[in-house]
Amino acid sequence: MTILNRDAFLNKLAERLGRPRMREEIQKPEWDQARLVPPEDRKGCEEWVERLEKQAQLNRTTFFRIPADFLPEAVWKMIKKAGAKTVITWDDVRWNEYGLDPALNAKLEEHRIRLQQWCDEQAAESISLAEQAMIGITFSDLALAESATVMLLNGRGKGRSVSLLPHKYIAIIPRSTIVPRLTHATREIRRRIEKGELLPSCINFISGPSNSADIEMNLVVGVHGPVEVTYIVVDDR
Amino acid sequence: MPIKIGQDPFFKRVESGINDRQMQKAVSSAQERFQKRRREATEELGNWEEWRKWGEAIRAHTMRYLDYYLEQLSENVSKAGGHVFFARTAAEANEYIIRVIKSKQATRVVKSKSMMTEEISLNKALEEAGCEVLETDLAEFILQADDHDPPSHIVVPSLHKDREKIREIFARLGYQGSAVPEEMTRFARNYLRKKFLSAEIGITGCNFAVAESGSVVLVTNEGNARLCTTLPKTQITVMGMERLVPTWEELDVLVTLLCRSAVGQKLTTYVTGLTGPRREGEGDGPEEFHLVILDNGRSNILGTEFQSILHCIRCAACINVCPVYRHIGGHAYGSIYPGPVGAVLTPLLAGYDEYKELPYASSLCAACTEVCPVRIPLHELLIEHRRKIAEDEKKAPPGERLAMKGFRLAATSPKLYRLASKAASIMAKPLTEEAKLKTGFGPLKPWLETRDFPAPEQETFREWFQKRRKKGENS
Amino acid sequence: MRVSLFVTCLTDVFFPEVGKAVVEILERLGCEVDFPETQTCCGQPAYNSGYHLETKEVAEHMIETFEPAEYIVTPSGSCAAMFHEYEQLFSGQPDLQARARALANRTYEFTQFLTEILQVDDLGAELHATATYHPSCHMNRLLGVTEAPYRLLENVKGLKLIPLPHAHDCCGFGGTFSVKMNAISSRMVDEKAQHIEETRAGLLIGADCSCLMNIGGRLSRLGKPVKVMHIAQVLNHLRQRGDEKDAD
Repeated sequence: MTILNRDAFLNKLAERLGRPRMREEIQKPEWDQARLVPPEDRKGCEEWVERLEKQAQLNRTTFFRIPADFLPEAVWKMIKKAGAKTVITWDDVRWNEYGLDPALNAKLEEHRIRLQQWCDEQAAESISLAEQAMIGITFSDLALAESATVMLLNGRGKGRSVSLLPHKYIAIIPRSTIVPRLTHATREIRRRIEKGELLPSCINFISGPSNSADIEMNLVVGVHGPVEVTYIVVDDR
Repeated sequence: MPIKIGQDPFFKRVESGINDRQMQKAVSSAQERFQKRRREATEELGNWEEWRKWGEAIRAHTMRYLDYYLEQLSENVSKAGGHVFFARTAAEANEYIIRVIKSKQATRVVKSKSMMTEEISLNKALEEAGCEVLETDLAEFILQADDHDPPSHIVVPSLHKDREKIREIFARLGYQGSAVPEEMTRFARNYLRKKFLSAEIGITGCNFAVAESGSVVLVTNEGNARLCTTLPKTQITVMGMERLVPTWEELDVLVTLLCRSAVGQKLTTYVTGLTGPRREGEGDGPEEFHLVILDNGRSNILGTEFQSILHCIRCAACINVCPVYRHIGGHAYGSIYPGPVGAVLTPLLAGYDEYKELPYASSLCAACTEVCPVRIPLHELLIEHRRKIAEDEKKAPPGERLAMKGFRLAATSPKLYRLASKAASIMAKPLTEEAKLKTGFGPLKPWLETRDFPAPEQETFREWFQKRRKKGENS
Repeated sequence: MRVSLFVTCLTDVFFPEVGKAVVEILERLGCEVDFPETQTCCGQPAYNSGYHLETKEVAEHMIETFEPAEYIVTPSGSCAAMFHEYEQLFSGQPDLQARARALANRTYEFTQFLTEILQVDDLGAELHATATYHPSCHMNRLLGVTEAPYRLLENVKGLKLIPLPHAHDCCGFGGTFSVKMNAISSRMVDEKAQHIEETRAGLLIGADCSCLMNIGGRLSRLGKPVKVMHIAQVLNHLRQRGDEKDAD
């Protein structure tokens, strides 16, 4: 792809910095302060689950924790309670792995609630359905306890719109994906880069419902993104 | 709009700020909340001073090798399928952006908050080119609807407006509801949602770009930046050239510092990392991605004593503690960058001719320096500005120059100094009532408008000390 | 212990009683106090206004003046902080820079000296008053002296200290700022005066004459019945001789 005007631009910077352009590879320093965050992430330990729950409440996010076997039933209850007519989800193998298909799918069909999987081939229709859907559901790829954040790796079958356009967003968090904080997520991302992988085109870190304090510093929940957010932590299968 | 806002001269702007009680009330209560949240969030994290030092070290390292990291960034954006345009000036940037939009035969543009695009007057340029440009950040939306009222704060641009005023503004767009923030916010949501769905171009700013992966990271709460980068077919991101980090390791540190310092959150609701346009086979996200990297005067700061102001991550913590900002408000700075950071940055980007008063609009209390998450010595940079104005540019008032020459003379000659301090007490005598000066001249005059001044004592300390010692020697 | 007093220009001319209190306290604690006659001003008015060539000359003079001193003590956090600025002022002049560093290393703000070097918290003072304390910005943020004044005041018998709301807000003095940007400065000092009034204290204590001159000047203009004292005056208010030694 095009890169325009680069040399003149960067030459000037080098000149201002009083040296020729940097051509050889820079080794960035080993930061002393890296010790502030312990290296081990103890994924999914009880402490992180509790911290995540506590912070989720502060973030105005509804929090549930359930055994994996109860997941279809729990999601069904939420959908029913919200009175949703349309639900949109990612096209995600975990939907089957966690038994949502067939258990939940059947239930929805029975009650004539439309369950739409994100479809890249019919993106316009998917976007429009996401916009009308009461609820969007995705799995989380990693969760950060400190800030009660879910990390979503968007991509094929995993549209950005699903966690963004519906009124309500539900994130299913496999317990084993909970790490202490952002540092552990960026470390995972760096491991991908070091392996030479191209990062997903969109990585979302989501910490509750969209909000704004732009009017007199009053926190209003629900601006452009979802108005309600629910986390379901499930013990892994 | 460009950096400059308003046409009035500095002291006129200060006067209207100082007399705007409604604005002061809004600012003062916002500052209090911001400060409390920031304090709590930093205490909860622990080792805050260490984190600040880490942030400072990262920023200093990145600036030292800025050309290297920008080159790496551009390579990686390109590898991910994005286009990169390096723009030296506002005009170059605007021209490129318009060219991209025209090539798509598009006219409908949605924007998320970006100070950089304010700086280059992008909206005006786009409107002149026939585009419909819509600001979608709630605060920016309010300002745009209020006939393009300029921002007064870099995180909450509409900080100076209260709910009643906002209700009036929304009424012009057809809003008929109350002044309750929730209701007005719902109105904005519905109004803007329709616009998002039909927008062709999404323009965003950039909190940080990550060189190692060519990613652009947006730190937001409302979700409008996500919409701008999910629905339109083309995404254009405009970044100041200094807003990048080497790797995701440094991103973690700076995002940690930014969210806590700006809004007292551990993370904002959305932190979005975007790497290139959507990939083959993906259904949403932009088909085309352009990154515009802007200099616009920043390179002139590199390699100078002001280089550390380029470390700024635009958290506004300095603005939120500044007592001067509290009393005069953002518009008084005459710049889209108000407060301490604005008083340092604006004269560098837009020159002393227009902005030579700004560095003096500070009591040098150093509250800004104390909270800066990347340890920019803001009050020292203000002094450095004053030095430049006085010594290099020779733009200080002649009376001041004279006074300082006199000061030097007196303060290096003990004899003259003693004489001067004695003279002060003699001269002050006729002006004195009950040991307070009530009238005065020269620099005392403005002081005495609002305050009494102590009359010098008949006996200075030094005389007392000498007398006492003599007595001691005699006895 | 030999202590050289840097009294500061404001104290010398306008608040000599503060200087006297410092001398008396230090002597009582067994220090031998001398007053280097050639001392003038720390140079801050020129430095903060950007006249650094002039400041350097003043700084050099002060370095020379205090070179023989073992300890330099000053009743102003702001002026003490200014001594700490000298080193970077002489960057590129290693000789002067070393002397400036040595000067800064021997310089203490008065309450800092009492608590850190003399290691005293209780000076046997007694003052029956309801007071509030304004911490000065430079002492607090630039010099990093935050706890010392409170520790010393806590031990003053009869003194009831009310916390000052927004204590860390600047009083608006800022040297030339107070005249150059008088309108802003006035608003800031007004706000400070209001916060002081909210405490209902009858006495304002501070550790920097410049801030006290500013706040006191406003309180007096507003006709507020608040007395203003430098912390040295408070600490010199002795238990047994409390009444006759009223330093105000």
